Amino acid sequence: MSILEYNGSGVVAMCGKNCVAIASDMRYGVQQTTVATDMHKVYKMHDKVYIGMAGLATDMQTLVQRFRFRLKMYELREERKIKPNVFANLVSSMLYQKRFGPYFVEPVIAGLGDKNKPFICAMDLIGAPVYTDNFLVSGTSSEELYGVCEAMYRPNLEPDDLFETVSQCLQAAVDRDCLAGWGAEVYVICPDRVIHKTLKSRQD
Amino acid sequence: ENLNETSSSKNPQLAMSGRRYDGRTTTFSPEGRLYQVEYAMECISHAGACTGILTKDGVVLAAEKKVQSKLLDQEHNGAPSDVSSEKMFKIDDHIAVSVAGLTSDANILINHARIVAQQHTFTFQEPMPVEQLIQTMCDLKQVYTQYGGQRPFGVSFLYAGWDPHCGFQLYHSDPSGNYNAWKATAIGGANDATTISLLKQEYKEDLTIDDAILLAIKVLSKSLDTTTLTPEKLEFSVLKPGQQATEAKFHILTPKEVTEYLDRAKAIREKEEAQKKKEEEEKGKK
Repeated sequence: MSILEYNGSGVVAMCGKNCVAIASDMRYGVQQTTVATDMHKVYKMHDKVYIGMAGLATDMQTLVQRFRFRLKMYELREERKIKPNVFANLVSSMLYQKRFGPYFVEPVIAGLGDKNKPFICAMDLIGAPVYTDNFLVSGTSSEELYGVCEAMYRPNLEPDDLFETVSQCLQAAVDRDCLAGWGAEVYVICPDRVIHKTLKSRQD
Repeated sequence: ENLNETSSSKNPQLAMSGRRYDGRTTTFSPEGRLYQVEYAMECISHAGACTGILTKDGVVLAAEKKVQSKLLDQEHNGAPSDVSSEKMFKIDDHIAVSVAGLTSDANILINHARIVAQQHTFTFQEPMPVEQLIQTMCDLKQVYTQYGGQRPFGVSFLYAGWDPHCGFQLYHSDPSGNYNAWKATAIGGANDATTISLLKQEYKEDLTIDDAILLAIKVLSKSLDTTTLTPEKLEFSVLKPGQQATEAKFHILTPKEVTEYLDRAKAIREKEEAQKKKEEEEKGKK
């Protein structure tokens, strides 16, 4: 058993036309036992930067608290909100600091950067980033997610279509994974608003 | 404040005996004084004045800007800030300070306060109680009056804060590391004692934020000894309730907002003067 598979999760981010989506399942499990079905894995850092984390739940929660600390200091000193690519570098840096005793999380960052340009980034547990303009996945359902996203993704989707695509991909993938599922939530980040929906999904 | 009256600059005889005991911060004088701490307070009296007024629905901070110049790029290309200005600084969402003294010293303490506030939030997952933050700041300032041989910080702060335990609060701390809670007070400038006595007369428990800003303008104009007040000379900020009951919001007034209040204060003053003149004329007739 790998420590990254102790709690179980599925996280996906996708780029659309002037928007990004980030979604995750909502299962909180301890190996095979499901303890809760309302566990958030996607966190808002600010209106245009969201981070989803797959992996060990305790490390995810601690990291969210640490990110909020660093972001508060950033906003006080710089007097502006952090850009998603800069935040991604911060996350990478914080993870690599623990290179020889890492946080067991694999984060996915999604947001809108300069001129509301869509941005997504995913990392391994020691902070190696990957940047693309299509989609990124993480969690125990990552292999399933790669398959469905590759098949269903198209570039330049409008927010509503992107929402549909992300939702279908996530649900199909986590349904094949016994450690992920039990609910799903999706965020679609647009320049003027954020669409947040909880999906009705298989509760098994 | 009462220490100022016996400071060496106003009493030459004491200045002579002071010389022997003022070299090190960690040495008491025979009269039981720490001269370096007193000299730090002297430094603050040369800085721009700050006033703070506590009301039931917020705290108002007002300050005199010492650096006034059209060349100053205060607004960073026209984008006003709710985080910092020449004299006011946000520490956390629910705590802000105004500074009197050496801004470079203030920056160190403010940075430290910001980190301490976030460390508390990280550990306890709730905002730091205001008095606790001030205690940590003062404990730091006190270190420089007892250890190390380094000079004290030449800054006094007025802290405006809100927490769910004690509501809105106003505190003052000085270079000695001493602090007090106040309903209204003033620091810095040559006339803070005058300002405080004016506040004592005019302060009322049931002021609103609006009233408090107008009162601050009134007392500052008397202590700065000028009636021509402009947004270039004065800065105002308010800490008031936020969107939710458990939140507070810090806002530094824009020059436009300051001008509105200055105009209102001017109208009130002119009305009062006209009233006074009328009463004196009637008295004279009798």
